Amino acid sequence: MRNRRITFMLVVLSFLLILGFSVQAVAGETYKMGLSLAITGPTSDAGDPYSKGVEDYIKYVNDEKLLGDDKVECFIRDDGYKTEVTKRNFEDFLDENIVFYLNYSTGSTLALKPDFEEEKIPVLPASFHAGNLVDSKYIFLPIASYSSQAVGLAEYVANNYKGNGKAKVAMFIHPSAFGRASYDDVKKAIDAGLNIELVEIVEHGKDLDNTAMLKRLKSKGVQYVISHTVQPPVATLLKSAQSLDMIASTYGEEGKITFMGAHYAGGPGLIALAGSAAENYYWVTSYKLMSAKGPGTDAQHALAKRYGRDDKLANDSNYTNGIMVAQVAVEAMRRAKARGNKVTRASLYEEMVSMNGYNAYYPLTTVGPVTYSKTDREGVDTLQLYVAKDGVFHELGLPFSPEYVKKIK
Amino acid sequence: MSENRWLATGNFFTSYRAEQRIFLTNFDRLLFTCFLVLLFVWPLVFEVSNKYMLVIDSILIAIVAVYGLNLLTGFAGLISIGHAAFVGVGAYTLATFARILGGDHVLLTHFWPLMIMLAGGVGAVIGAIVGLPSLRLKHLYLVIATLSFQMIFQWIINFSKFFNQGQTIAVGRVFWFTGKVGRSEHYFFWYYVILVIVIILGFGVRNLLRTKHGRCLVAVRDNDRAADAMGMHPGFTKVYAFALAGFFAGVAGALHAYLWRGVGFESFLLHHSITYLAMAIVGGLGTLVGSFLGPAAILMLELQVENLAEFVGHYFTALGDVATAFRPLSFGLVIVLFLMFEPRGIANWWRIVRSYFKLWPFRY
Repeated sequence: MRNRRITFMLVVLSFLLILGFSVQAVAGETYKMGLSLAITGPTSDAGDPYSKGVEDYIKYVNDEKLLGDDKVECFIRDDGYKTEVTKRNFEDFLDENIVFYLNYSTGSTLALKPDFEEEKIPVLPASFHAGNLVDSKYIFLPIASYSSQAVGLAEYVANNYKGNGKAKVAMFIHPSAFGRASYDDVKKAIDAGLNIELVEIVEHGKDLDNTAMLKRLKSKGVQYVISHTVQPPVATLLKSAQSLDMIASTYGEEGKITFMGAHYAGGPGLIALAGSAAENYYWVTSYKLMSAKGPGTDAQHALAKRYGRDDKLANDSNYTNGIMVAQVAVEAMRRAKARGNKVTRASLYEEMVSMNGYNAYYPLTTVGPVTYSKTDREGVDTLQLYVAKDGVFHELGLPFSPEYVKKIK
Repeated sequence: MSENRWLATGNFFTSYRAEQRIFLTNFDRLLFTCFLVLLFVWPLVFEVSNKYMLVIDSILIAIVAVYGLNLLTGFAGLISIGHAAFVGVGAYTLATFARILGGDHVLLTHFWPLMIMLAGGVGAVIGAIVGLPSLRLKHLYLVIATLSFQMIFQWIINFSKFFNQGQTIAVGRVFWFTGKVGRSEHYFFWYYVILVIVIILGFGVRNLLRTKHGRCLVAVRDNDRAADAMGMHPGFTKVYAFALAGFFAGVAGALHAYLWRGVGFESFLLHHSITYLAMAIVGGLGTLVGSFLGPAAILMLELQVENLAEFVGHYFTALGDVATAFRPLSFGLVIVLFLMFEPRGIANWWRIVRSYFKLWPFRY
């Protein structure tokens, strides 16, 4: 009797063991990705929602089995905006055999560029610096570069200037590689015939008031300020301008200043920080806004709701940004699988560079398709201008591609 | 000195030469040799990830930099809060070559030992120049002078097109007898290179302190007027202390550039200068052992605080911003606690541990 029970138990155990192995055999693969970004410290106002966008979308992919039985695992690490920590995180990710890497800052993207080339790993940074693409094969910008954004705004100023002579413009930039990424190209565009006068380039500090700087710009006749930085310094700038009654109530209002900004210098987060001072602020990006109705908006809100995120995050443009880069990475994986290829760094790179023409990717979160090739690694080429009215950003006109970007390339 | 060189006890020195020996007993020498063998062998036995090898290499580089700061602040009594800028001078010496000749030029990739020495030399020259105010300034005023140097350095790098406005200037991979040092062996290769440099420079510092030039530093620190009366030149000694600090920092900077394969502005800020000072204080000012223990303690603490901040940020998302403050908080707290309760630093703990193994009659 006892022997029979032991035999039965052995048979059951063997069965369970075989079942366990076979389940493991049919279970899909796990593709690993890494993301190192500033969840805390400088620029974390953008990094934190960005990380949540990536996190939620990857959860969604796994929960909804968008890659069938295969799963995606994305390691997300905070680097506090410090390149040394980013490098350490990247080395850690490589030990985990990641096949795709999402980076964040301009400084670390430039610093790690040789590593990306050696590792032959496709990289999507949150930095849209055109310089990331120089001497690189594996870095892909998600959307139009900072240069394109700043030149696009400058072009808008030139095209819509009603006064005599040239429009006087100042640039308000972040004191780093990120901030300086665009002004050289704005200067090139001016040299190429763009009809504006660049009066001053201000690298902001950590000022709590910009009165003196604004009065100086005013005395120089500046009518337009193009910001290329993160939201908090722009909010301070706008509040100072509001207290001095300098903000133009309509575009290009005589005697006042019209404030404008590139991607990270705007968005709903800016309105939350600057309040009524953000009224009539012009902002350019390649992302769709959650204030506009559409399938992309509905999908993003549903995603945020599904993973318990609050309304502020659900409407944040950097949350959109994070979702978008994760979408592109997952799409590359899906396409590689669909072709019957193994998901590796090499196959993902091939999928990325063939994402054009009929193979262009439409992620719903952007105003145009994501297109890459071996010679063009800027994702969404079109930009959308938005203007803040009654506490919400509204679309202004149709998506456009700046003319002068082509001229200076 | 006792006849038995293995178990010598008490003060039995019969000459100054005997008192100045690096190893007082053969047992000390044996222990030190075993420790060195251990340092060389362990990477071959244990598998360590690149991430941690990078941390270990960074600790070794910080040790080289802190040697210099310890000579300047610990032994010569001249407080500097511009040490990261000196390290930056060494790194940007390489960056200058990289900008003019290209990061993969043979001078940088094949003659790297020469470049490291050159970076040290440039660091020494700049150190001597920055040390000139010490001929007239002391204490807080001198601190401000070193702070000025830090600010001037940051400003020059940040706004100079030649230095790429602080953005990374790439430095190529170096060559060894076996060929190009590839990615897979990069951190191990530099571990051994930096370890050898740490040992050579460590012996250099130890020997310097046995010479009249080393004793001059201590004499000027304790009482520069008395040192002057004894025939030493306090002004020259101070400038030369700055030059020495600049040399060590320059070497550290060059090693940093090679290890990180590039030079970026972010690694040489005021906050890094304060970190070096904290390493010297926590390790133990005026002790050679402190130069090893301080960097290890501070960089490991930094890593652990980072992990803690990430843990807090991950599980308590509302406290994400609080987590940002962990690093400066822990950093400041450690310095204050050491200054209050253990001003002689971790080196004093090492002294206490060693005292447990002393045999009667004790040496003092």
